[in-house]
Amino acid sequence: MSDIITVKDLVLVYGDGTKAVDNISFTVQDGEFFGFLGPNGAGKSTTIKVLTTLLRKTSGSATVAGYDVEKEAGAIRKVIGVQSQETTVDGDLTGRENLELQGHFHQMKTSEIKQRVNELLKLVELESVAEKRARNYSGGMKKRLDLATALVHKPKLLFLDEPTTGLDPQSRSTIWTYLQKLNKEDGITIFLTTQYLEEADKLCKRLSIIDFGKIVASGSPTELKHEVGADSIRVALENCDKDRAKAKEIIKTMSGVSEIIDSEDCINVYAKNAGQLIADIVRALDSSDIRLSSVTFSSPSLDDVFMKHTGRRIRAEDLVKAPSAMFGGRRR
Amino acid sequence: MTLFSDTRYLFVRYLKKLVRNPILLFFSLFQPIIFLVLFTQLLTNFSKFVVLPGGSYIEFATAGILLQNAFGSALQSGTSIVLDIDSGYLQKMLVTPVRREAILLGRLTSDAFRVVVQSAIILGLAYAFGAFVTTGVIGILLIFFTIAFFGLAWSGISLAIGMKTRSSETVFAIGGFLTFPLLFLSPALFPIDFLPPWVGTVSMFNPISYAVNAIRVLMTTGYDWGTILPSWGVIALVALVTMSLTLYQFRKVVR
Repeated sequence: MSDIITVKDLVLVYGDGTKAVDNISFTVQDGEFFGFLGPNGAGKSTTIKVLTTLLRKTSGSATVAGYDVEKEAGAIRKVIGVQSQETTVDGDLTGRENLELQGHFHQMKTSEIKQRVNELLKLVELESVAEKRARNYSGGMKKRLDLATALVHKPKLLFLDEPTTGLDPQSRSTIWTYLQKLNKEDGITIFLTTQYLEEADKLCKRLSIIDFGKIVASGSPTELKHEVGADSIRVALENCDKDRAKAKEIIKTMSGVSEIIDSEDCINVYAKNAGQLIADIVRALDSSDIRLSSVTFSSPSLDDVFMKHTGRRIRAEDLVKAPSAMFGGRRR
Repeated sequence: MTLFSDTRYLFVRYLKKLVRNPILLFFSLFQPIIFLVLFTQLLTNFSKFVVLPGGSYIEFATAGILLQNAFGSALQSGTSIVLDIDSGYLQKMLVTPVRREAILLGRLTSDAFRVVVQSAIILGLAYAFGAFVTTGVIGILLIFFTIAFFGLAWSGISLAIGMKTRSSETVFAIGGFLTFPLLFLSPALFPIDFLPPWVGTVSMFNPISYAVNAIRVLMTTGYDWGTILPSWGVIALVALVTMSLTLYQFRKVVR
């Protein structure tokens, strides 16, 4: 399979000096479902903006569908579909008009547009409200319409910048179904950014974890989790500052422990036999007069992968409240 | 070819947005209509003291009020581009092959269309109050042309400010700040002879004066090309400056 996106040593520094993308390199294969996982401000959107010809890179090189992002921007725009992070549908136009206008932006024939728009309205299940103004759609419906507008010209490559951020779980899983269908049945390559672990885990065949403009890990979700290798035990201490060093000393000597790192909870222990080890940890710390506030363990998740490379958790769900879930029901 | 069709689709988009938010249309018509009704009624006796071209005050003032309306509408142009930038819709257009120039042209042509419709409403109202366009249908068309051209020239200012500041409030504030001084320091609502001499001097440098005079002669006297052509020249000059500014800002926005 050939590469549809190649990025080499890409750097983007904004006018105010912020280094949003810091020397990243990666490739995406034709037909792949590829993802960027990272917290807010990690450089995901900026990368997408460079690849979709909206921003000029500072240095490095990037090609999309074989075209150079700088010199052949026009050719790229013809073959890509883009859904930006903000939902951008024109509320004054109906769902159908939004789609048709997008077809005209791509200079398609009117007859061709008519047929394609009907197909898409069916795909995203908006046929019944197609003649209503998009202003009155719920948040989930707007997102679906927005996704459909990115598909009017049958792009071979789809860029989705946090396509489900702010959506309620049900709308989110609906979008996931469409995306999987588009990738599997229509063979569309998808480049998705997300701050949701579950989303990356479920959809992406391969992903890169990005933080502060740098790629910290890449691989399939399984590979990445395998790399963490072990279950993780989160040990929270009542007096973390005082006892952390001592606790680490004690746990380090136990059998099966592969790695101990400092975390927000206090200590994260990676081990093969976590279930067994918990009891040992509790006993050992207790007998050394170190008071525990909690001990939990889990099988490796992408969050652990992120944690392993950055020492922090992603916690998207805390950062992003779902506004559309609160106000989305308003319809007329 | 694509430029023409892209412009057409964007023109239609803006018109749909306008028609579906009729409040906007009336909001900007509101002030000119108040002026038309209030001023012309308050100043009915004005013509007893001053000799006015056209005879009655309403006949005289309609040109100024048409200009005032064109001015106000043109200044809203910039807010619409701010909206498209803020909502991300501009970016949505920019990742497609749509012609960049069409984004501006669609906006400007729909502005021109809108101001012509509004002017027709004002002219109709003025007619009801007894103001006629002496030059007839062709004169009316020339008035529309002058107003649309004038509107385009001033849209450029608000578009440039809008793209530079990305703030609708700023566009409105600067627009509001400009409107009255420019309007009153011109023969828009009072004949120059009636105003203090310094205003007369200032008004010679006020582009609005020229546009007003062209419309006024078409309404009241006839095809006075010696007034009309220089007026178009002044508007063209203003348009050249404002469109250059707009294009400069637009290039920055579209990279």
